Amino acid sequence: MSALKSYRVLELADGVAGEYCGKLLADFGADVVKLEAPGGSATRRMGPFAKQGPAGETSALFAYLNTNKRSVAFDVTSEEGRATLAKLLDRVDVVIDDHADGWLAAVGLDPATIETRHPHLVLCAITPYGWSAPDERRHAQDLNVFHASGWGFHTPSGAQPDQVPLKGAGRFMVSYEAGLDTALCIAAALVDRQATGLGRIIDVSKQAVMASRADYVLAQMVAGDMNVGTHRTAYDLHGPAGIFECRDGYAYLWMSAPAHWEALGKLMGHPDWMKDFAPNWLERDCTPERVALCRQHVSAWLKTQEKERVATEAQKLGLTMVAANDASDLKASPQYAFRQYFARLEHPVLGALDYPTVPYRLSATPAALRAPAPSLGQHTHEVLAS
Amino acid sequence: MSTGKRGGPLQGVRVVELTKVWAGPYVGKLLAQLGAEVIRIESRGSLDVTRTYGVKDIDDAPGFQSVNAQKLSVQIDMKTPEGIRLILDLLAKSDIVVENLRPGAVKRLGLGYEAVRAVNPKIVFVSMGMYGNTGPLSYQTGYAPCFAALGGLSLLVGPEDGAPTGMNVRYADSTFGAYAAFAATAALNHQRRTGEGQFVDVSAVESMTSMIGDTVIDHALTGTVHRWDGNRHPDMAPHGAYPCRDGAWISIAVASDSAWSALCRVMGLPTLAQDPRWSTLADRQAHLRALDEHVAAWTTQQDADEATAALQQAGVAAAKSQNSVDLVADAHLWSRGFFQEVADRNGKTKSTTGPAWTMSRPARLADAAPKLGEHNAYVLGDILGLSDAEQRRLSESKITW
Repeated sequence: MSALKSYRVLELADGVAGEYCGKLLADFGADVVKLEAPGGSATRRMGPFAKQGPAGETSALFAYLNTNKRSVAFDVTSEEGRATLAKLLDRVDVVIDDHADGWLAAVGLDPATIETRHPHLVLCAITPYGWSAPDERRHAQDLNVFHASGWGFHTPSGAQPDQVPLKGAGRFMVSYEAGLDTALCIAAALVDRQATGLGRIIDVSKQAVMASRADYVLAQMVAGDMNVGTHRTAYDLHGPAGIFECRDGYAYLWMSAPAHWEALGKLMGHPDWMKDFAPNWLERDCTPERVALCRQHVSAWLKTQEKERVATEAQKLGLTMVAANDASDLKASPQYAFRQYFARLEHPVLGALDYPTVPYRLSATPAALRAPAPSLGQHTHEVLAS
Repeated sequence: MSTGKRGGPLQGVRVVELTKVWAGPYVGKLLAQLGAEVIRIESRGSLDVTRTYGVKDIDDAPGFQSVNAQKLSVQIDMKTPEGIRLILDLLAKSDIVVENLRPGAVKRLGLGYEAVRAVNPKIVFVSMGMYGNTGPLSYQTGYAPCFAALGGLSLLVGPEDGAPTGMNVRYADSTFGAYAAFAATAALNHQRRTGEGQFVDVSAVESMTSMIGDTVIDHALTGTVHRWDGNRHPDMAPHGAYPCRDGAWISIAVASDSAWSALCRVMGLPTLAQDPRWSTLADRQAHLRALDEHVAAWTTQQDADEATAALQQAGVAAAKSQNSVDLVADAHLWSRGFFQEVADRNGKTKSTTGPAWTMSRPARLADAAPKLGEHNAYVLGDILGLSDAEQRRLSESKITW
């Protein structure tokens, strides 16, 4: 038994945001039918790709985002396609879309009338700025949303005014975040639907999702409790915390309190330079000059250390230091192995791969990878004939 | 009044928080935005640091206010047996409990999953930890930037020819909270259908890795270990932030050859689009530095808003890199209710952040974050059915303090 078993979801999305949302539901057991255009979802044409295999079936991105789903392929923009879509709507509980604002209406699913015609339907759309965005926000990729939400301008922390703002980690952070909030809204709407039989129309803005992820700062700013400004460091916490190079990679060191300073002294064997700092300087005397000096000494020392070993020692002393991991570290992590964060799944083209799973373990209704992503239109006959 | 009907898909769902700082409270915030009744258990003896650190008035603490709008506050001392009994009584009448205390703390208090399940087998018990509840490293704790470093994000962010910088220091807690909120709501579906509750164990570090799932599966497929690479994107070029005349930055992302032609037209360099050095994505990637210089040469002659409007008109994905002044003045975010006003117990209004979505039959948001113990009478009297005299006794003996 899985948490969302027996719910029927029609996924019209062909971007990462909608597909990730559908995946989160499918991995919890929902029956997700992915409706693809005859040429296949856009994500089928994005890498990484297997070296060999039929066109449209070699993308590991698609394979990752579409586990446990079924694929139906037809042209939803044709008259016949729209009629088929209309019939499918009577048989599903949820629709997920992430096309541009206006696309749903073009295929006969105008959000303004869908509630009257299909009152039981939970219809959820993800767009860069939500419906009714102004004209100067019609075209956006994840990078643009990252910047429109405030994260771009404030990345990295501690940036100088002329330093180029950086994208977030990986290619699709913004889409994953938006897909996650959308899955939350859908799961909540389904709770209500069990009681009332009524669906919902849900309009998720990627920009607002990303802004919401900085709510601790933004809510204080909009309330007038924290200074706003045109400076790059407006979100920052000051102090010597940061990423440091080690002999075999990098580690992140957090320091904000006298206890951390004391622990650092023990870890480093109380070097002479530390004597020039007051024991409580992190709280009372944390000037940019001191921060720079502290970082300089800590940098020089950490370059001689191994990241895992020094982080473990630091943790024992009550100093918050961790290794900065890359994909190969994660694969080798004993913690991830213990918690089975990776799950092996056999895909007809990609073969057996270890897939990253989900960050939650449910004791009664866990998420699970049961089936690899479908080939294009693999279930067209079975779904349309049933 | 906060305890009245607010609507929304989670109306009638009761959530109790044993949480601190940001990640745990963010779970309750999202659920409250969906209509749940969210009760924070607090006490003078162990106040959340966001109520106290550098703050004059614990009932008007900016950090606390930012993630606790629309919640209720009840004072119950978790360090007394009678307090624990009261909490268990409350959990017996609740659907979800969320905790992000230190590893093992709830169990030591007598509020572990087994103890709570004994009084309420329907409870969805959400436990949040840096590494989750199980495994050889589950004893470790850390702050948001540690989650990002451990989860694989920090080494993906940095300038191409410099050291890794990681994400902004604020990233991670809220994402972790959003995963916990989704998992809790999925479990709630199961509870409503079958009456069965369960234990939901959420890992902050795994939450971060889930934000780079495709990077991780790339490693599984090809062995590639991605590293920080400035603003590069394998499927787009140009792709980056460029300086403008007014001191602002503009983000431009070109995902197709036709968008590239459009960009060249807007830049007044239509011949550039025909230049074979840059006609395909692969060509543009191969000469990225020169390409970025061309784009920057144009953006530095424009104000960010002008350039954005011109590019949008031509169908090119572009947006100003918004600073904090831009954000709080963003009319679109206001019109969607992402920014909105709430009122405190004295009727004084203040602005705060609302939901990232709009929906039919939404939950109404009206109340600012609660004063410490603002809802003692509602929780102890209306929910738990304690008499006024009994409530007075609990207060005088500092159980509800």
